Amino acid sequence: MTLPRATPVDGFPTHTSRVQAETEEILFKHHPDPLSNNNATPGSSSLGAASTPTSSSSSTQGKPADSDGGPALQKQLHMSFLVRNMVQGFPARYISQDASQPWLMFWTLQAFSILQVGLDPGNKQRAIDTVMSWQHPDGGFGGGPGQRPHLLPTYASVCALAVVGRPGPGGGWDQIDRQKLYRFFMSVKQPDGSFLVAKDAEVDVRGTYCLLVVATLLGILTPELIEGTPEFIASCQTYEGGFASASQPSYSPGPNPTLLEFPRPPLGEAHGGYTFCALASWVLLQPFLEAGYKGAHSSKPPTIDLNNTLRWLVQMQGTEIELGGFKGRTNKLVDGCYSWWVGGAFALLEVFGIGASSEEIGSQNQPSKDEKLDDGWDDVDDSLLNRKALQEYILWAGQHPAGGLRDKPPKHADAYHTQYCLAGLSAAQHHVYPSVSREQALAQAWVETEPFEPDLGHPGLSQEQRKTIFAKALCWKEEEGASKCVGGAKNRVNASHPVFDLTITHSQGIMAHFYGQDLERLRGPAAKPTAA
Amino acid sequence: MTSPADVLYADNPAWADVTPLPQYEGVNPLAPILYTEEYKDATDYFRGIVKTGEKSPRVLELTEKIIRLNPAHYSAWQYRFETLKAVKVPLEDELKLMDELAVKYLKTYQVWHHRRLLLTESYNLEPKRELEFIAKSLKADTKNYHTWSYRQWLLAFVNDGELWVGELDFVEEMLNEDLRNNSAWHHRFFVVWLGGGGGGMGVGGTREEKERVLRRELTFTKQLISLAPNNPSAWNYLRGVLDRTETPYGLILPFVRLYIVNLSDRAGSTDIVDVENPPPSEGAQLPCTAALEFTADAYERQGDDEGRKKAVELWKVLANEQDTIRKRYWEFRIRGVEKKVGA
Repeated sequence: MTLPRATPVDGFPTHTSRVQAETEEILFKHHPDPLSNNNATPGSSSLGAASTPTSSSSSTQGKPADSDGGPALQKQLHMSFLVRNMVQGFPARYISQDASQPWLMFWTLQAFSILQVGLDPGNKQRAIDTVMSWQHPDGGFGGGPGQRPHLLPTYASVCALAVVGRPGPGGGWDQIDRQKLYRFFMSVKQPDGSFLVAKDAEVDVRGTYCLLVVATLLGILTPELIEGTPEFIASCQTYEGGFASASQPSYSPGPNPTLLEFPRPPLGEAHGGYTFCALASWVLLQPFLEAGYKGAHSSKPPTIDLNNTLRWLVQMQGTEIELGGFKGRTNKLVDGCYSWWVGGAFALLEVFGIGASSEEIGSQNQPSKDEKLDDGWDDVDDSLLNRKALQEYILWAGQHPAGGLRDKPPKHADAYHTQYCLAGLSAAQHHVYPSVSREQALAQAWVETEPFEPDLGHPGLSQEQRKTIFAKALCWKEEEGASKCVGGAKNRVNASHPVFDLTITHSQGIMAHFYGQDLERLRGPAAKPTAA
Repeated sequence: MTSPADVLYADNPAWADVTPLPQYEGVNPLAPILYTEEYKDATDYFRGIVKTGEKSPRVLELTEKIIRLNPAHYSAWQYRFETLKAVKVPLEDELKLMDELAVKYLKTYQVWHHRRLLLTESYNLEPKRELEFIAKSLKADTKNYHTWSYRQWLLAFVNDGELWVGELDFVEEMLNEDLRNNSAWHHRFFVVWLGGGGGGMGVGGTREEKERVLRRELTFTKQLISLAPNNPSAWNYLRGVLDRTETPYGLILPFVRLYIVNLSDRAGSTDIVDVENPPPSEGAQLPCTAALEFTADAYERQGDDEGRKKAVELWKVLANEQDTIRKRYWEFRIRGVEKKVGA
């Protein structure tokens, strides 16, 4: 094996190239190839003024290797990390996330789910009671008890309830006040189709994504709620192809806003987290866009440049010397969390026919494909990202030797990176794709039930719309036999729903409840229930 | 009224009339945060205040205390903003406090959003001063997402021709510091092509004017590419400009070709100085993958079989030699045109 090539500096070092070189040097020590480990600095000739190797106990020792030299997912260590946070609590440095308590809960619960672990009934009930204490009297969920309702903790709370909740008294699901929640959603809606994340707070696509996920899961996604939202999402795409946090408000400030005529430039550069949120929002808006959404304020429906998005996503993958991890912006460093935000976004493109399942993966074509492990990647891998390299980054560099996962060595592990690294690993191991036949089967099995009627005076959804939203949201299917786990089957984690970041099972469970559909009938023989 | 930082509200007689509200009542929370006494005390009193709805100067003190302990406490920010409006504190004073907090807590959404609320509330605040403050903040953290978006919002919000004019110099200063700073490249695109409340500064005018701006941007970008060719930010900007102006990629090929050959291949050809097509610097590491990709895209866009075949050859080089991590993507591009070849 040849040495991986350092990112070229062209003899013109700047701040960006210096931190890049330092990072490559550290990552290089985590490189699986023993040959490369004998060399102190990668491609040192081109590094220019590279500093001396950073001494770090965790960067040279404690590689998560097996006896056979392959990388091992240290499930036990990560479990201990998660259990410690959950039972003993988060250390005081997490005060900075006091307004994100639902996120700490969601990341912890969802990390368990990805690791194929469920909670005992006692802790489940505690989790439900904790989440319900964040519901605001005016609707929606806040970052903690008594905190104002906010779109982001609302997503985290509802998704946490998807994992641990149940119907009936004390189960959480039926204690969500959907009327008030809907009113909260409408109250943060702006004239141009964007949403404030909370009263007097900022607009950004994370909020839009969180709102659309919750509204989809709970069956309260109405045409009124999303009017103008596709235009907002489209306006956040930058010339690079990825998406920005927001765009310039296209309405006048003040109490009686009027829509303005001029264009809405994106605010900020293309970014991994926002790109995922924008693209996933675009997917969740498809039931309306495909049904002839006309656009709120113009004659033609908004569009986004998906080929440019694909190009940007692909460019975010680091090279061999960065172990194939993902960056969040051009000329920035790789970071484990983008394993999900960028690595996980490729599955979303398949909805638009870009990528592996542009032709339905037929039951006729590949009747019995054996589970492929380390070898044979090239034969079966149709994905547009380098799934193998991404897994290597997470396994070799993303795991902290003391448990939990991280941005990159030698950083600490934290709840956020633990969940998003594991979610990214899940996305890289499994091929979960939107199945046309599954969507049809779900639509056929649809039973008419009573819809949510907003008490704001505008209509809710027709049966047809609810059926379409339901079938599209749950059409995601894991391709049988297409899982590929670096390090072998023992590293396997659960498959994830590419839009929600929940397991397929949990997504089905909560949606079946809120759309009044029979869960067992829906799962059928095709959907393989995963443990959690 | 101000109390020493180390005195708990629970021990402060000035707050004796407020009933503190503990966070969890009747719930034994799972995954709790192990708070410091100071933080718990302040937030207990904050919950007490929110419950009574009090909006007074001491609430400003309390919310400032919480914000300093946890700048991401959005409810404290929200309540502070409502209180500011209720007690009619001069917003200029608040902005001065924010000057300090913004530098301290550069990475939180709220410090920047609060400034935005203040500026939206009061047109008296001096946008020029604000741009200077942002510039100073960006010196400390040159790629801070919130700071850059805030600057862009401010420019579009105020939409003052004089303010736009200074932005090109500002971008060039930032790119002089680090030509790989993608935030600065994005800002350039924003200012030149999207800003100015429609059409962008300098681009809203006559056809001649538009062509002048396009030429200026191409010259600028080529110059920076020649200094450090393996800079994806510069190539993305170049592509963005061509896409925006619907300029064919093929027009730039005489320049791009210089970046796909090896150093040894171009020996002897460097004494011809062509300002339109600056050659790679001495230290350039060629071939440059971005140039290969660009050339392939230009060939594909010719729309004929010959172009597609040439594009496929380059994509093969990328897939198998120059950019192997993205092998799958380059093969996807090859499949995309092979359907068309000979069709």
